[in-house]
Amino acid sequence: MSRGANAGFDRHITIFSPEGRLYQVEYAFKAIAQSGLTSVGIRGTDCTVIVTQKKVPDKLLDASTITNMFRLTPRIGCVMTGHYADSRSQVHRARIEAAEWKYKFGYEITADMLCRRMADISQVYTQNAEMRPLGCCMILVAIDPQLGPLLYKCDPAGYFCGFRATAVGAKQTEANSYLEKKLKKRPELTFDRTVEMAISCLSSVLSLDFKSSELEVGVVSKENPKFRTLTAEEIEVHLVAIAERE
Amino acid sequence: MLGESSIQPEWLSEEVKTGTTIIAIGYEGGVVLGSDSRVSAGASVVNRVMNKLSPLHDKIYCALSGSAADAQTIAEIVNYQLDVHSIEVGEDPLVRSAATLVKNISYKYKEELSAHLIVAGWDRRAGGQVYVTLDGLLSMQPFAVGGSGSSYIYGFVDAEYRKGMTKKESQEFVVNALTLAMGRDGSSGGVAYLVTIDQEGAVERCIPGNELPTFFDQ
Repeated sequence: MSRGANAGFDRHITIFSPEGRLYQVEYAFKAIAQSGLTSVGIRGTDCTVIVTQKKVPDKLLDASTITNMFRLTPRIGCVMTGHYADSRSQVHRARIEAAEWKYKFGYEITADMLCRRMADISQVYTQNAEMRPLGCCMILVAIDPQLGPLLYKCDPAGYFCGFRATAVGAKQTEANSYLEKKLKKRPELTFDRTVEMAISCLSSVLSLDFKSSELEVGVVSKENPKFRTLTAEEIEVHLVAIAERE
Repeated sequence: MLGESSIQPEWLSEEVKTGTTIIAIGYEGGVVLGSDSRVSAGASVVNRVMNKLSPLHDKIYCALSGSAADAQTIAEIVNYQLDVHSIEVGEDPLVRSAATLVKNISYKYKEELSAHLIVAGWDRRAGGQVYVTLDGLLSMQPFAVGGSGSSYIYGFVDAEYRKGMTKKESQEFVVNALTLAMGRDGSSGGVAYLVTIDQEGAVERCIPGNELPTFFDQ
């Protein structure tokens, strides 16, 4: 039980501390908040929506080349929050895992199985001393032919779960409370209501009035099960609808 | 005088081949692929309704010929590679990419494999294209024929092909070529499968034997 037992390495590599904590994994969670962005996902009656901020820190950057929304298969999309390079690495791995599943088993992987696989891979990093966990969190969305709309999240600890709504990032605690309050009465969640609730959640916790260029919205719905991101014009329509309701 | 026949039927020890006729032709705005449906093991037909037009991607198909297992496996592997590639690039893959992937496998394993795939499809950059990948070469052609039945129709396709045919004319051309080949080649027959690919997508069609055109034998 003496503190000297691990010679202080428990903070530097992924081994247990005397209290039973994995400091490296906890630091990975802090790295997610470091990026300063927040993402929200909500599962509606016939659709699932993910929304994230689009911050272009440098005026010289070409905004069209920056995105945190990625397509993993034609029907499964994701939003990544956290360290950008780690996010891209995880997306690449997820794409390969999904394609390999289709090749090996002859049918397309479902979002819950893909999330499980990514979580299992993340768990390996929490046991390997030589590799650090990735500082990013993945929220997956899809329409499953049997189960309907799906929303799944997997984090650096290797934990994954399905959600009715969830938030990740710098303001996730506030966003999660907002979502809990709004969904308590189990409101009717049509496509438009779901998109507008997700955008309002971000606006409210960040105290920002968004322009359509500052948001990225990814959707899957029963009418259009292929994952797609909304254009600036479509986002504008929803922003106007939110403003009119207030 | 001749050696006595073996105790087992011959077809059990013969390799399963798609003794075949396959054809692909480009037209203004797309491509048409066609194949017969006979799979033989020696003199025995083991499947009379096999679709030898295999999708590699939404708007890229390949036509299989030669050894059935080899051809199917190549098509499945390239389909997997194109899945990853197209998702990473974020748009539909080029027909040339698909053909190159097929060619790379055909060339690397040319001693072990015995299959020829004709790759054809539509992409945004160059429209409808047809590629041959025989023995590991890669060549784009206005049209291509393959399989054992193709030898019987080289004269026909060479004489009848015209540049700038419409979609309907190309479909008729393919059906006529297939019918003639199936009529003379013992390893080709069954129904005719057609796939027409253009900007909108791929449309599959099956033409049963009694709906095929008749020629001298009517």
